[in-house]
Amino acid sequence: MDFRITEDRAALVDSVRDYLAGVHGVERLRALDADGSARSDELRRGLTEMGLRGLLVPEAQGGLGLSLVDAALIAIELGRAAVAEPLVDDAFVAVPLLIAAGGQEALLGAIATGDARVALQNPVNGWVADLDGATHLIAERDGRLLLDAAPARGEALDSVDPLRRLQAPVAAKGDDVGASDALLDHAALFAAAQGVGLAEAMLAQATDYAKIRTQFGQPIGSFQAVKHHLASAAVAIEFARPLLLRAALALEQGLASAPVHVSHAKLAAADLAWSVGEAAIQVHGAMGYTYEVDLHFWMKRAWALAGAWGDRAFHLARIDAAVIGGSLPIGPAHSFA
Amino acid sequence: MELAYTPEQQAFRAEVRDWMAANVPARPLVTLEREEGYHQHVAWERRLAEGNWGMVTWPEAYGGRGLDLIQWLIFEEEYYRAQAPLRVNQNGIFLLGPTIMEYGTDEQKARFLTPMAKGEVIWAQAWSEPNAGSDMAAIKTRAVRDGDHYVISGQKTWSSRASFADWGFGLFRTDPESKRHKGLSFILFDLNTPGITRRPIRQFHGDPGFAELFFDEVRVPVENRIAAEGEGWNVAMATAGFERGLMLRSPARFQAAAARLVALFREHRDRASPAAREQVLAAWMGAQAYAYNTYAVASKIMAGGHIGAEASLNKIFWSELDRAMHRTAMQLLGATAELRQFAGDRANDWLEGYIFSLAGPIYAGSNEIQRNIIAERLLGLPR
Ligand SMILES: Cc1cc2nc3c(=O)[nH]c(=O)nc-3n(C[C@H](O)[C@H](O)[C@H](O)COP(=O)(O)OP(=O)(O)OC[C@H]3O[C@@H](n4cnc5c(N)ncnc54)[C@H](O)[C@@H]3O)c2cc1C
Repeated sequence: MDFRITEDRAALVDSVRDYLAGVHGVERLRALDADGSARSDELRRGLTEMGLRGLLVPEAQGGLGLSLVDAALIAIELGRAAVAEPLVDDAFVAVPLLIAAGGQEALLGAIATGDARVALQNPVNGWVADLDGATHLIAERDGRLLLDAAPARGEALDSVDPLRRLQAPVAAKGDDVGASDALLDHAALFAAAQGVGLAEAMLAQATDYAKIRTQFGQPIGSFQAVKHHLASAAVAIEFARPLLLRAALALEQGLASAPVHVSHAKLAAADLAWSVGEAAIQVHGAMGYTYEVDLHFWMKRAWALAGAWGDRAFHLARIDAAVIGGSLPIGPAHSFA
Repeated sequence: MELAYTPEQQAFRAEVRDWMAANVPARPLVTLEREEGYHQHVAWERRLAEGNWGMVTWPEAYGGRGLDLIQWLIFEEEYYRAQAPLRVNQNGIFLLGPTIMEYGTDEQKARFLTPMAKGEVIWAQAWSEPNAGSDMAAIKTRAVRDGDHYVISGQKTWSSRASFADWGFGLFRTDPESKRHKGLSFILFDLNTPGITRRPIRQFHGDPGFAELFFDEVRVPVENRIAAEGEGWNVAMATAGFERGLMLRSPARFQAAAARLVALFREHRDRASPAAREQVLAAWMGAQAYAYNTYAVASKIMAGGHIGAEASLNKIFWSELDRAMHRTAMQLLGATAELRQFAGDRANDWLEGYIFSLAGPIYAGSNEIQRNIIAERLLGLPR
C-alpha cells in the first residue's frame, strides 16, 4: 500500500504544468476568446509534441502507454490552465475505449500523431463537444458504441463557457466497437480531474489577489472572513484529490466498484469547483464580477463540467444505489476491498 | 397583531393586478445591461408612470400615491406576480428618492423627485473608487468649491447603469485637508456634463452593466449638493441603509423565484435528487421567512420605528437566499444549465439569474462587512 504520486509521474505533470503556464497563459486565453477562435494550433502542436495525444496509446502504436492515473493528473493541469483544447475527449477518453474494442491500431496511431481526432457523443443528452475538426465520432446507441468515420454536423449550442464548442445531437451510426458503459465513466473521471484543477487555479487566483488588494490600510487577506473563505477552499481541495486518484486506479484496474468511485470523484470535484468559484468571486469583490478579470473563464468551465457526463443527480443516484441499495460493501475494512 | 389585509388593501391589490395584466409587455425585454434593453426598460418606467405607479409610497405632489409600506409590499407582490420588467431606475426611486425626501430642500424635492417617479431621469450611483470599495471612507475624488460651483476631479467605478443613465449621485471630498469620513459631501451631477468620461466595463456575463467615470474638472452647481457641506457621510449611510434595508429587494422578487423553482422541480422531479428536493423546499421557506420579516419591519417603521444596523441582517439574508435558489435551479437543470438558449426567456433565465445572484453578496456592502457590522453593532462584540 502506497498512496503517493511517484517521482517520475510528478515530473511529467510538472513539465505539462510549466508548458501550459508558458504557452497557455491568461493572455492567450483572452485572445482565444476575443478573436472567437477558441482553439490554438500552437497549443495543439505543443501538446502533441509532448506526447500527450499518445499518453494512453500503447507503445506499439507510437504512444507512451501510460495509465489513467497519469492522464487524470494531466487533466488536472488542463483544468488549472482552463485549456479548452479537446485533448481529453479523444486522447484520454476515447483511446481506452478503442484499445478495449481491439482492432483499432491504425486509428490509435493516428490519434497519437494528431492525424486523427475522435469526438464523443455524450450518452446522457447526445451533445458533442468539438465536432468541428474531428475525423471520427464515437456515439452510443442501445448500449453499444458506434465509431463513425464520417460524422454529420449538428446544430451549434451556445454555452456560457466562451471557449466551449458544443453541438446538438446527431444520429449515431458506424461500426460497433463495444459496450457503452465505460464511456460515461471515463468521461466523468476526466471531468472530475479538470474540476480539481479548476478549483486549484481559482483558489490560487483568489489567494494572490487577497495578498495584493488593500482596504482599510491592509491586505484584504489579513481579514479573517477572507482567510476563512480561502482556507475552506483548501480543505475541500485536499479531500477531493485522493478520490480522483482512487477512481482513476479503480477504472484502470477494471474493478466492479469503479463506477461508484467515479461518481464519488465527479460529485466531489464538481461541487468543489463550483463552491471554490463562489468563494473566489466573493474574495475578488466587484473585480471578480468583471469580464476583464479572468476568473469567469474558470467558473463557467466549472459549471459546464458539473453538468456534463452525468450531473449531480445522476452521480448521487449511483452512489445511493451502491451505498443505501447495498451493492457496495461498506465499513472500516472496505477502503480498498 | 393582525395578519389579514383590509378590504381597502384587497381592492388596491385588485387594481394593481388589473393594470399589470393589461400593461406588462407580453414579450420579455432585452436585458437592461445592453443599450437596446436599457431603452426598452426606460420606456417601461414611463408606462408605469402613466399609470401613476412610479413610486406608490411617495406624496402625490412628487408623482406618487401617498400610500403606506404595506400597500407598497402589495404593489410589489402584484408586480412580480405579473413578471413585470426589472426597474431600471432602482437607484433613483429606491435609494436616492428616500434620501432626498429626508435630507433634500423643498426646491430639490420638486426638482428631482417628480422626474424620477416619471422615469424621465434615470440615475446611477457613484460611491466606489478603485481604492475605496469596502473602505468607502478612503474616497479621494475631489469637489473643490469655486464660487457657486464645485469642480470635480477624480475617478469613480462600478457605477451600475452609468453606461447609459442620465444623472449620478455620489460622495466627493469637498475638504481637501480632511480624512476618512469627514469633509465628504453628497452631490448630484448630470452625467452629460462636459469633463465626464464614461468607460463601460464588461461584466461577468459579457454586457456592460456598470461603468467607470472619469471626472476632469467637471463643474457642478452648488445647489446640487444634498445636506450641508461635509455632512455627506451621514447622508450616504442613510442611502446605504435604504439599499440594504427594506426597499431594494422586496420579498415578492424571491417569492416569485421560489415559485418558479418549485415549478422547475416538478418538471424534473423524476430524476431530481433528494438533495435538490430539500433545497427547493428551503428556497420556498427562505422566501416566506423573508416576506414575514419584511412585513414585520414595515409594520415597525409605519409605527414610527427605525431600522439601523438591522439592515445588515436583511442584506445577508436575501443575497444568500437568492444565490442558493439560483444555484439549486442550475443543479436541477443539470447539463442544460450551461446553455444560453434560455436567455431572454425571463421566467426561465436561471443562468443569467445565477450570474447576477453572485454579485448580491458583494454589492450594497459585502456580506463580510455586513457580518462585521452585525457582530460589532448588534451583538456588541469587540472591534
Ligand atoms: C454588480 C455590482 C454592481 C455595483 N454597483 C455599484 C454602483 O452602482 N455604484 C457604486 O458605487 N458601487 C457599485 N458596486 C461596487 C460595490 O459597492 C463594491 O464592490 C463593494 O463595496 C465591495 O468593494 P470592492 O469590490 O472594492 O471589494 P473589496 O473592498 O476589495 O473587498 C474584497 C473582499 O474583501 C473583503 N473585505 C474587505 N474589507 C474587509 C473587512 N474589513 N473585513 C472582512 N472582509 C473584508 C470583502 O468582503 C470582499 O470579500 C457594484 C458592485 C457589483 C458587483
